[in-house]
Amino acid sequence: MEYSEDHIALAAEYALGTLDADERAQVETMMAVDQDFTAIVQAWEFRLGVLNQMVGSVEPPPGLWDKISKAVGLTGLPQPALELPEPPPPPPPPPIVLEDQIGEAVASLQSPAVPPPPSSPPPSPASVAAPAPLPMAAAPAPPFGDSNVVRLTGRVRSYRNLAVAMTAIAAALLAVIGVQVYSPGLLPGLGGKPATQIVEVRPSPVPTPRATSAPSAQYVALLQGAAGGPAFILTVDGATKNFTIRKVGAPPIDANKNYELWLISDKLQNRPRSLGVIGDTNFTTRPLLAGYDSDVINTATYAVTVEQSGGSPDGAPHSQPVFIGRLIETVPANAAPARNR
Amino acid sequence: MLTPAELVWLIAAVAKGDEAAFERLYGATRAKLYGVVLRILRRQDLAEEVIQETYVKIWNSAGQFNPTLASPITWMASIARNRAIDIVRKRSELSIEEEPAAMEVAADSPDPLARREMTEELKRLLECVGRLEPDRQKLVLLAYYNGWSREQLAAKFEAPVNTVKTWLRRSRMDIRECLGL
Repeated sequence: MEYSEDHIALAAEYALGTLDADERAQVETMMAVDQDFTAIVQAWEFRLGVLNQMVGSVEPPPGLWDKISKAVGLTGLPQPALELPEPPPPPPPPPIVLEDQIGEAVASLQSPAVPPPPSSPPPSPASVAAPAPLPMAAAPAPPFGDSNVVRLTGRVRSYRNLAVAMTAIAAALLAVIGVQVYSPGLLPGLGGKPATQIVEVRPSPVPTPRATSAPSAQYVALLQGAAGGPAFILTVDGATKNFTIRKVGAPPIDANKNYELWLISDKLQNRPRSLGVIGDTNFTTRPLLAGYDSDVINTATYAVTVEQSGGSPDGAPHSQPVFIGRLIETVPANAAPARNR
Repeated sequence: MLTPAELVWLIAAVAKGDEAAFERLYGATRAKLYGVVLRILRRQDLAEEVIQETYVKIWNSAGQFNPTLASPITWMASIARNRAIDIVRKRSELSIEEEPAAMEVAADSPDPLARREMTEELKRLLECVGRLEPDRQKLVLLAYYNGWSREQLAAKFEAPVNTVKTWLRRSRMDIRECLGL
């Protein structure tokens, strides 16, 4: 559906916060009846929401948790121990920077029916933030315009621009939220050399971990079915390639059957490769992606089928995929983990 | 200290009614969200109320969180921020600063943000905001971080409200163009 400039203005200023009470009510009403409009508003909210990374943390009063707990009606009954997936072993350096492959994967997400083109000459350095085009892919109509083309900016240019921008914006940030930013001279990656490092991953099965403090990239895929809603969540550690698949919404299946996870990549002639049976527990962790190149891993489609007990006997799926998804990078390889104080 | 991937796990667990995950999620994110809304509301009692409502909403809508669209903190902060701004807009007859309990917001840790800690998205947005004229930058940042209304911005920049509206519209369009949307 085409949205007028006024609609988009409303959505953007709702997200920014400058609408008055009546206008906010109007937007909230529109959102309640129009999912597409909600998507536009949310896209703006999430776009601007990155600014919250810069806000200082403040501890709320300690009694607040009790109030929240009562408000949602927590039972306080003993729960099974919370298990988060095992943290991956220390990653080897250097962190694999896969912006170009990610850019391709993300670009291809905009037309899910079209498999990404077979490996072409190295693309020009792409600067695409992973979530950026996704609002266009997720909503039925592109919220920000007709074009589905992702405008790619040269990486070198963008780093120079960042330095200039940071100098320009430093005073405003300091004045408004008291945040200081480092001077451009301290920003790494300047001096004209391209900051993209494409490190070819050697196909050796297990990388040797060496002591390093560089955090690795984390990728997440939601595996969803036709009914929508995630059935499984797949996370992959960019350095070790260990993956974990967690059941979040998959319906139970017959006792004599198993869910099985597959990797499907046009780089492998679209022949599904088994990543193993998904166990009955909530978490299943495997190193089975270690034998695949990073660009295969990042661009593949992941699918879950229902197989006989113990999984497919012949290495090929025997049912249609029930849940599918693709990987999204949640933590860039060069970023420290989100700090919550 | 939890990574975004771990927060995604927690939210998925909360969607299934996992109370321990909810408590852990609260522990990991409460200070950031409280900091965000306190800056807008400038009152601890209101901020507490908003945070409480926010986490109740998170408990009820965790199943709708889509990690492909936003990071966990961004999603949660959006809920918190919307509620905070709803409140300040409804109270606009009374200037927040005049209320006796209004306070200077001091963060526990105002820290210089190392560039390598910024996500690509944040860098790109700051780059685009940085291209605006200095007054427009302040306009946008005051609106976003402090939740100022057009009237408050007009007072700050000593301009009529309609002019502020125009500035906001122009700045928003510039940012949108710069982001390549």
